[in-house]
Amino acid sequence: MSKEDIIRDAIESMHKGNEKLAIEAMERAIAEGLDPVEILADGFSAGIREVGDLFSRGTVFLPQLMMTADVMQKVSALVDKEIASRGLTAEKKGVMVIATVQADVHDIGKGIVASLVKTQGIEVIDLGRDVPVETIIERAEEHKADIIGTSALLTTTLNEQKKLEEMLKSEGLRDKYKTMVGGAPATQRWADRIGADAYAEDAGEAVVKALALLGH
Amino acid sequence: MSKKYLTRYGDNYLEEMTEAEIRQDIEDGTLDAADRAQIPAMTSDDMDHLFEIISNPQKIVSVEPGNEVVVTFDAGTLKLCVRSDIPMDRLTACVTQERALGSDSIELCHVDYSYKPIKPIISEERQTMEQVQLMTTIPVLYGAMPNLGLYTKPDGPCGNWAELLPAGKIAEAKEAQEEAVQHSIKDIVFVASSMIESGADGINLDTVGASGDADVKASLEAVRIIKQKYPTTGIEMGMAGEFNLGMHGELTFDGEILAGMYPHQQVRMAEQAGVDIFGLVVNTNSSQSLAWNLARSVTLAKETVKVAKIPVHANVGMGVGGIPLSIIPAADAVSRVDKALVEIAGLDGL
Repeated sequence: MSKEDIIRDAIESMHKGNEKLAIEAMERAIAEGLDPVEILADGFSAGIREVGDLFSRGTVFLPQLMMTADVMQKVSALVDKEIASRGLTAEKKGVMVIATVQADVHDIGKGIVASLVKTQGIEVIDLGRDVPVETIIERAEEHKADIIGTSALLTTTLNEQKKLEEMLKSEGLRDKYKTMVGGAPATQRWADRIGADAYAEDAGEAVVKALALLGH
Repeated sequence: MSKKYLTRYGDNYLEEMTEAEIRQDIEDGTLDAADRAQIPAMTSDDMDHLFEIISNPQKIVSVEPGNEVVVTFDAGTLKLCVRSDIPMDRLTACVTQERALGSDSIELCHVDYSYKPIKPIISEERQTMEQVQLMTTIPVLYGAMPNLGLYTKPDGPCGNWAELLPAGKIAEAKEAQEEAVQHSIKDIVFVASSMIESGADGINLDTVGASGDADVKASLEAVRIIKQKYPTTGIEMGMAGEFNLGMHGELTFDGEILAGMYPHQQVRMAEQAGVDIFGLVVNTNSSQSLAWNLARSVTLAKETVKVAKIPVHANVGMGVGGIPLSIIPAADAVSRVDKALVEIAGLDGL
C-alpha cells in the first residue's frame, strides 16, 4: 500500500471517528517503514482539522468530533510508542494553559479548542471557566507553559484578556509566554491592540496558530 | 484614488472601504451563507441593492413609507432597567416601551430569564403580568430561555454534557440531555400555562438552542403541548444561532434530525410545533465587515421567508443579524441591517 493510500485512510478514519481504521493505517505505515510523524501530520492531523471545520458548519456534531479527538489521541499514543521503540523520545511540542476568563462561564468552545490542540502533541492544561487572571498566570508558571490561551464570549469580559497582557508585563513575565485570544467578540484587531501574540477564530484555526507559535 | 465609504466591521470598528471591497465582501458573504445552508445566494440585483444601502451617505437609513414592519422586543423589561441602568420597575419599563419607544409588542420577563428559576416566583410574575395588562394596550408576551444548562449538576439533577463529551462519555452525555429535555418541557409548560392564565397575550421562547439540539427539542415539544392547551395564544420562538448546534446529534422532532438545521429548516419545525412567529438568528462574525455579515444575514433570511408559512422576525440585537458585536452597536450599522432585512429579505418584523 502506498504512502498516499495510507494518508487517505488516515483522513477517512478521522472523518468516521473509526478507531480500527485509524490504528490499522498507522500500523501499516510503521510496518512499511514510513515516518509515523509524517503520517500523523499529513493524514490524521489534516483529517481532524477537516472534521473541526465541518463541525463549525453544523455538518458534524459534537459527539462525533469528540470521538474523533479520542481516536486521534490513541493514534498519537501508538506513534509515541513506536518512537520510543526506536530509542528516541517523542517530541512534546509544548505546553498550553487555557481558560475562560473571570466572570465568563461559556466554556463549550474553549473545551473544543483544548480537545483539538491536545491531539497535536501539545500538552493542554485546561483551567476551566470563570478563571481570574492571577490564577491563569500562577498555573502557567507552575506548568512552565509556552502558550497561554484565553477565551471570552462576552463583550463585558473581553477586557480580562487585556488585563492578562498588562499583568504579565507588570510582573516581568510577558516574554516568557506566547498569548492567544479567542471568543466571539475577540478579533485580530483586538489581539493587536492588547498585544496578544495570536487570535484564533475557531478550534481549527487555534490548532494552526498554536503550532505556529511553537515554531511548527 | 478610489472613493471610499465609511462603514463598520462586526466588532463595531469604523472603517473606510472602496466600492470594489464592499462588493467583494457582499459576494463572499452571500456565497458563504449559501454554501453552508445549501440555499441560493443573493441575485445580482439584490447585491446591488445591498451595496446601495451600505454605501448610502446618510448616517441613518430607513425604509420607504408603507414598508414599515412591526417592531417587538424580547427581554423588553431588562433592556431599560438592567442594561441601561435606568432605575424603573418592570411595569414602568413596559409602559415606556409602549408609549415612548413605540414598540408594537413587548415581553415581560424576569432578570433570571430562564423558565426553570421562574417556577418558585411564579406568583410574583403572575401579579406583575396582570398589572402590566391593565396598564398597556400592546400585546404583552411572557418569555424566557429554555436554558437546558440549568438542569445539569450542580444546579440540577442531570449530568453535564459539556464535561461528559470531552471526557469521551458520549452515551452518558446523550442520556443526560434526554433527561434534561423532559425536565425542561415540564417547566416551560408550567410557567407558560400560569402566565397565559394571568392574561399574557403570548409566550416567547427565547435563545432556543443555546444548549444545543436538546434545547431545541425541549422547546418544540413544549410549544406543541402549550398550543394544544391554549390554541388561540400566540407563541414566538427566537433562536440562539444560525444552525442547531449538535450537542447530542440524534434528537428528532417529527422524525427529522434537529442538529445542523439552518433557519429555513428551523422555521418548518417551528410551524409544525405550533409556533406563530419565528425569530430568525444569524450570527455576526466580529472579524468581518458589515457588508459580509449583512450579505450572509440577508441570504439566510430571504430563504427562510420564502419557505415560511408563519411571520418571520429577525433578531437584530447585539451580535446577531449583522449587527456589530458591541455593547452599544452603532446606529448607522443597525439601521442598515434593519433596512436590508426588510427590503431585500422581506422580513415581517424586527
